[in-house]
Parts: sequence; structure tokens; C-alpha cells
Amino acid sequence: MNRMKNSMRRVFWLFALCFFLALGYVVKLAVFDRKEISTNAYNRRLYVEEEDVKRGDITDINGEVIAQSVANGDGTYHREYPRSRMAAHVTGYSSVGKTGVEAAENFELNTLHHELLQRLKHAFLGEELVGNSVVLTLDMQVQSVAGDLLGNAKGAIVVMEPSTGRILALQAYPDFDPNTVEENWDSLKDDEDSPLVNRATQGLYPPGSTFKIVTALAGMNYCKDWENFTYECTGEASFEGKVIHCYNDKAHGTVDMAGALAASCNCYFAALAKEIGAGNLRNMMTKVGMEDELDFTLESSLNRVNLTADSTESELVETSIGQGRTSVTPLYMAMLISAVANDGVMMQPYLVDHVVYANGEEGKTTVPEKVMNICTTQQAELLTQMLVGVVENGTGTAAAISGVTVAGKTGTAENATGNDHSWFVGFAPAEDPKVAVAVVIENANAYGSATPIAGKVLQAALEAVGE
Amino acid sequence: MFDLIIMLSRFLFVFYIGFFLWQGIVYIAYEQGGYLGSPYHAVSIQRRLVVLMHLTAFLILSYQGEFRFDLPSLGMGAVTLVFLLVAIRLLDRFYYEGCPLIWTGMLFFFFFILIMLWRLYPSLAVRQLMWMVIGLCGMLFLPYFLRLIPRFEMFEWAYIIVCYGLFLCTKFFGVEKGGSVNWLAIGPEGYQLTFQPSEVAKFLFVFYLASVFRKKVGLKELLITGSLSAGLVLLLVMQKDLGSALIFFMTYMVMLYVATSNEILFFLGMGSASIAAIGAYKLVSHVRVRVAAWRNPWADIDSGGYQIVNSLFAITTWGFFGSGLTKGLPKSIPVVESDCIFAAICEEFGVLFGMGIIGIFLMLLYRGVRIALDCNRRYYSIIALGITALLSFQAFLIIGGVIKLIPLTGVTLPLVSYGGTSVLASLMMLGLLQWVCVYSEQDYRRREEEKQGQADQEVDVLYE
Repeated sequence: MNRMKNSMRRVFWLFALCFFLALGYVVKLAVFDRKEISTNAYNRRLYVEEEDVKRGDITDINGEVIAQSVANGDGTYHREYPRSRMAAHVTGYSSVGKTGVEAAENFELNTLHHELLQRLKHAFLGEELVGNSVVLTLDMQVQSVAGDLLGNAKGAIVVMEPSTGRILALQAYPDFDPNTVEENWDSLKDDEDSPLVNRATQGLYPPGSTFKIVTALAGMNYCKDWENFTYECTGEASFEGKVIHCYNDKAHGTVDMAGALAASCNCYFAALAKEIGAGNLRNMMTKVGMEDELDFTLESSLNRVNLTADSTESELVETSIGQGRTSVTPLYMAMLISAVANDGVMMQPYLVDHVVYANGEEGKTTVPEKVMNICTTQQAELLTQMLVGVVENGTGTAAAISGVTVAGKTGTAENATGNDHSWFVGFAPAEDPKVAVAVVIENANAYGSATPIAGKVLQAALEAVGE
Repeated sequence: MFDLIIMLSRFLFVFYIGFFLWQGIVYIAYEQGGYLGSPYHAVSIQRRLVVLMHLTAFLILSYQGEFRFDLPSLGMGAVTLVFLLVAIRLLDRFYYEGCPLIWTGMLFFFFFILIMLWRLYPSLAVRQLMWMVIGLCGMLFLPYFLRLIPRFEMFEWAYIIVCYGLFLCTKFFGVEKGGSVNWLAIGPEGYQLTFQPSEVAKFLFVFYLASVFRKKVGLKELLITGSLSAGLVLLLVMQKDLGSALIFFMTYMVMLYVATSNEILFFLGMGSASIAAIGAYKLVSHVRVRVAAWRNPWADIDSGGYQIVNSLFAITTWGFFGSGLTKGLPKSIPVVESDCIFAAICEEFGVLFGMGIIGIFLMLLYRGVRIALDCNRRYYSIIALGITALLSFQAFLIIGGVIKLIPLTGVTLPLVSYGGTSVLASLMMLGLLQWVCVYSEQDYRRREEEKQGQADQEVDVLYE
């Protein structure tokens, strides 16, 4: 009998332990995992709104309000966007559903800081219930310049700070007026130009010659003798099942990597790609994070990567000059060029700088985060020198800024329907990069129309960061 | 203004459950020889706290703004209040000397689930109340019934045969509900009463094992009970009712361990079960789905991981004090009224309150084991422990499941979840537990009296 009672005591402790384990786990959920789990986009609780809560403001880094709630007079509120189209693709809208920052930061915007105190004041003093405000990294000065330069050309511009990943400007056209989304919903939704799609993060474009940055890095990595690798360009070159042309069939003569980048010589890079091999080029694409899903505030597309180790030679050489089936987002290209500018360290791009509570206190601040190393510091420095050459005496001279060394790469993406897309990715100053930019202009009428735009955006961005 | 009241009520609810548990500690401390307060006082405070919680919650649920109240809600509140107050008086009378902490714990859960169901789906609250009435009647007559057959351990074979009969019935006549074919439907089409035979079988299973284990356990008993239990577990796995299969297995292991006090046997059993579990994982796709949803529910939010992910959202979004009654979105969790009730509790009453619920289960576990320890008749003692182990393990299984500590299996949270058969079975088990408690109290008194009698006789002899 006594042995049985002892066994019973042990059974008690076994189950008690189970319950304590459950208690501990609940605490872990509520304390440590809370933020990560509850901010998941699938959580419907984030979209619960109360009519009498005044949604917080969205402002740029300098405090300029770009989205605010205005009282209707009956205790409810409506949303206004003072800058109308200028930041439409960033703020998104909050009427027919939510997009952009309005959607991503919905929980913050609706959360009452010191809720109990606010509700007490609301009940007894009649004060408004005010949600948290969100301060973006965006600089409306740069954003406006970028928007004006883009004008009515379809395309996108992304400006980023290479050392941190802060997004200074993010423009896409066609756009929309967030103030009137509800009224114009039917026409916006059915518009063939899809103005509601944010081309900067969701648009997928063949990278054209800007991809040569990746091919060049692959050459540095996988070809031992790349420094002595030269090619005699005659304007065109034949590969298995594919003839590669340089732009306008121009013969560039004997070029090395720097020369080929400056002249954007397709034949050189196709020949280099053959040396590298499809498997290695694919590895390089993986190493620069082209396949990785991006965790960004705004909805963004996944780049398309089709090259494999078994791909045909024609696919390999096409991919190496950015004309194959690879397609990327402008945001990704901004990240890539920023990584080159930042000694090979790719930073996580971010849009929300910090949160400000209703009482003016500063809330959580985003800490810059490294994504990966895409290459060594030496490789980044070498590549930067070559990219300076592109702007000083190559295809990118239109991006030059007086008194500042600009590094960059142009691109022309052939397009089955309509004119070519024009690309430019670059950064400045080349010695100590402060800003990086990626510009894409769809179906550009003139060759290289993205290049001068990029130069002006870089200049505006440099002024804004105080250079 | 009303929002403000709901916000403040969250603290009130946490206070209620915290103070409730504290009074439980006061009572237990007194029993153990410490003194933190009067135990009688503690129990009556506990009862008052439960009534206060009920009043607070129903006032919030019935408020419609501008000092108008919803009549059905007020009516429901009044009816449940009267029912439960009457019930507690009757139980005190019928189970004189039962453990008061088990009663107050049960009472807490009853009041609480009626609040929760009324907030979620009022029609279910009414049905739950109906089942509670039936369950309580059964509970009140249980002592009389048991007195009629003084040696109910004789029927060991009958218990297991009925057990198997129930399972085979579901095998052939079962209807599917919630992915498992473990329901029986009685009555004409449209007015069917569905019930889960596995709930009834749990009850009989404990009886069967206790009847066999009351004698010395030899190899023969070990083999017979082992293979019969394994058969039941296998049947349950085939019906895709993994939760119940685990409960039957664990109950068997615990009762076997208690009856034999043999650790080696216990770990051997656990080891072979682990091997069987790996086998089941390889062979049964249903098991693989459950495990995959547990290991990474985020990979498959839309289908396999949907329930667990929504339950985690409910638990983590609002923090320690919850969203406040009526302010959360508990209905977004699939099967919230039975399997995921714990997540709904954490959502609207807060994680602290949820921890309090686990605390009450701990209190019930402690009292159940206490009853088993205090009972001198081996048979009753094993029954008491079997019931306690079964209820505790079931509670752990589902609470651990919704918080993603272990894979989620669809079983009810005993005494809390919605479910007619579940309420009935839990009530009968608690009734039996209390009956054992009453028995050992009376037994103790009889012995004391006998001792006293002997002592008196001895005194008489001295003075002769």
C-alpha cells in the first residue's frame, strides 16, 4: 500500500510538471514571441478598427505629414493625404481595404498608447483617442524630385542609403490619388496600366546590362585569371544556338572587364560567362540574394531566376547580359547596388524609421540590419572603380554630377512588346557612398533615358543628406 | 465610457481568479498544518468570487449602450445563477464531506463556460446548461446507485466488453464530425442527438483497469490488460481520434504504474509507445499532417496550420490582460467552443487569466491525488487516481495543443469546453471522485470510533 502511495505522489509530480511546463510556455508566448506572432499579416485582429479612434499620422523623416485623419464632426474620422499622388505608392490607401504603409503599420496606427489614461481622458475630459504615428525614412524633398523627374513616364525610382538600408524615396508611375481611391475604385481597378501596382517593389523587369554587375562579380569569384581575361569585340559573337550583338553592332576592340563595363560590351560578358559556367553564375545569383524572399514593409515581388547548372549555352550567355528569362524588381536592384557601395554588405531595406506615441514620446525605432555579404571588400572596391569608369568615360556619362564622383551602370532591357526598358543603377560619392539609386523607365523612347534622371535624383538626395 | 468599463473589468477578472486560487492555497495550507486563514471562510469566499465573476460578466454581455440592457442575456444570467446556487446546495447535501475545493473549482468552470459560450454562441450556452442539469442529476444519484451494488469491481469483464461494444458501434454506425469518425447519432433525422462514445468509454475504462488492478498484478493480468488497452488505442487511431488514443494510453500507463510501482515497466511502456508513435507517423498521413502543423504552422497557414496559427494570434495579440470581454475576435479560431476554448479565454480575459485556469486544474489535480492517497481501500484509491490522471492529462493535452507546446489533437478541455457527452462524462467522474472522498472520510471516522470503542473497553477493563 505504501509503495502505491509513493507511486501516486510521483504521478502527481509528473502531471504537475506538465502543467508548469504549459504555464512557462504561455509566459514565453506572451512575453518573447508576442511581437513576432501577433504582427503576422494573417492576424485579423490587426485590422480591427474602432470608429472613435483617431488613426495616427504618417510623416516623412522631417515630420512632414503625408497621411492624417481629420474629424468629420460626428466623432468619426476620414483619411486625408496632403501630398496626394506624391507618396501614393508608399502610404497606400485606407478606404477600400488597405495597402502600403497604411496596411503594414495598421496595428501601430490604431494602437492607443497608455490606453487606460487616454480612455479616462476621453470619457471625462472629452479628449480625442489618438493612435500612434509612424515616421518614415522617406524624405519628401527627394521623393518630390524623383516624382517630378519620372513625370508621366512609366517606371520606378528607388533611392536608398547604402550603409543602413533606409529608403529615402520610392516612386512609381502610373500612380493614383489616395484621397479619391474610393470614388474612382472601378476605373482604378480595371485600368490597363494598373496604377495600383507599385512598380518599384512589385514590377519585374529584365535587368539588362545592369546584370553585368553580377556577371563581373562571378568572374572575380570563379575565374582565377579574370584580371588578364580580355576579349576582342567585333560587335557580335556566336555561341551555341545564339548570336550576341553589342548595341548597334558597335565593335569595342580588345577590352578587359573595366573597359567592357564602361562600354557595356555584351560580347565580352557573354564570353566571360562561358568561362564562368552556368552552375557558377547561378551560384553567384544565389550569393547576391537574388532568389531570397524579401521581408519589406510594402508588398514586393520575388525576383525570377531561371538559370540552372544544366541550362543551355544560349540561355547562359543571354542571362549574363541580363536578357534571358531573369527578371528583378527595382527595389532589389537598389539593394544590389547599395551592397556594392557598402563594401559588399547588403542591408535590409526599411521604410519605417520609428513610431511616435500620442503623447509625443518616441516609440520603437528600426535598427538597420545586415542581410548578407555579397562579395569581399576588395571585390567591391574593384567593382566600384570600374563603375566610376562607366560614368566618367562610358555609357553613363549623363549621370555625372559636377564635383562628385558617381559610380553606376546603365542597362537596356530588350522587350518583346514595345520599346526597350532603360535602367540605371548607381551611387555617389564613389569614395564614401551616401546614396544609391535604381531607376527603370519602361518602353523608353530614347536610349539611356534613365541615366540623366538617376544623376539628378542622386544630386537631390545628396543635398538632402547634407553632402 | 463603456469601453473604459470593459477595460477596467479585465483587471477585475484577473483579480477574481487570482484571489480564488489564493483562497485555495489558504485551505490547503490549513490542511497541511499551516495557517493563512480560516478554511471555511476560504471556501465561502471562493463561492462568492465565482458569483461576482458571473454578475460582472453578464452585466457586460447584456449592456446595449445608454443604460439599456438586453433582456435575454439578463434572463440567462439569472437562470444560470439560480441553477448553480441550487446545485451547490444539493451537492453539499448529497455529498456531505466531499472535498469543497473540487466543488468550487467545478463551479468556477461551470459559471465561466456559460459566460464564454453566451458570448460566443448563445444557443450553445443554453444546450450546455441543459447538459449540466442532466449531468448534475446523474451525479446526485450516483451515490445511491453505487450503494445498491456494493461490490461493483466484480463486473470487470462487463466494463471492457461494453467499451469495445461502444467503439465497434461507432465503427459501423458512426458519423463524421470535425475530421474524426467518433460520433454516434440517435433519433430521427433532423432531431438527432449526437454523442461521443469515447467519452463514456473513458469512464468504463477506468473502472475496468481499477477492477483488474485491485488484486496483485501478475504477468497474466499485465498481458490481458495490455493487449485489450492496445486494441482500444488502435481502434481510436483508426478513427483518427488521436487525442483520445493518447488519453487511453496514458491512463493505462499511469494506472499500471500505480498498481505495480514498477518504474521499469513504465519506461518500457513509454519506450514502446514512442516506437509505435514513430511507426504511426510513417504510416498514417493524418498523424503526419498534425505533426507538420505543430512543427511549423507558418508554412501552411491557409490549411494545415490554420487552427493553431489563429489560436496563437488570439493568445499573443492582447497580452497579459486580454482584449476585454466582447472586444476580441475569438470566433476567428476554428472550433473555438470546444477544442480551442483556451485560446478564446486567453484572448478576451488575458494570458494571466488563462494561467489561472491552468492553476485551477493544478488545484483539482492536487485534490484528486489527495483523495486517492487518503483512501485505504485499494480499489477506490486506484479509481480516484485513474480519474484524476485522465482528466489532468486531457486538460494538458488540449491546453498544450492550442499553445503549440505539443501537437494539437482535438479533445475537449474537461469541464470547460462545450460538448454534451464531455460534460456528462466529466461530471460523472468528478462525482465518483467525490464519492471516494466521502467513503474514505466515513471509513476514517468508523476506524476512529472503533479505536475509541476499543480504548473505552480497555478503560473498562482497567476499572473492572
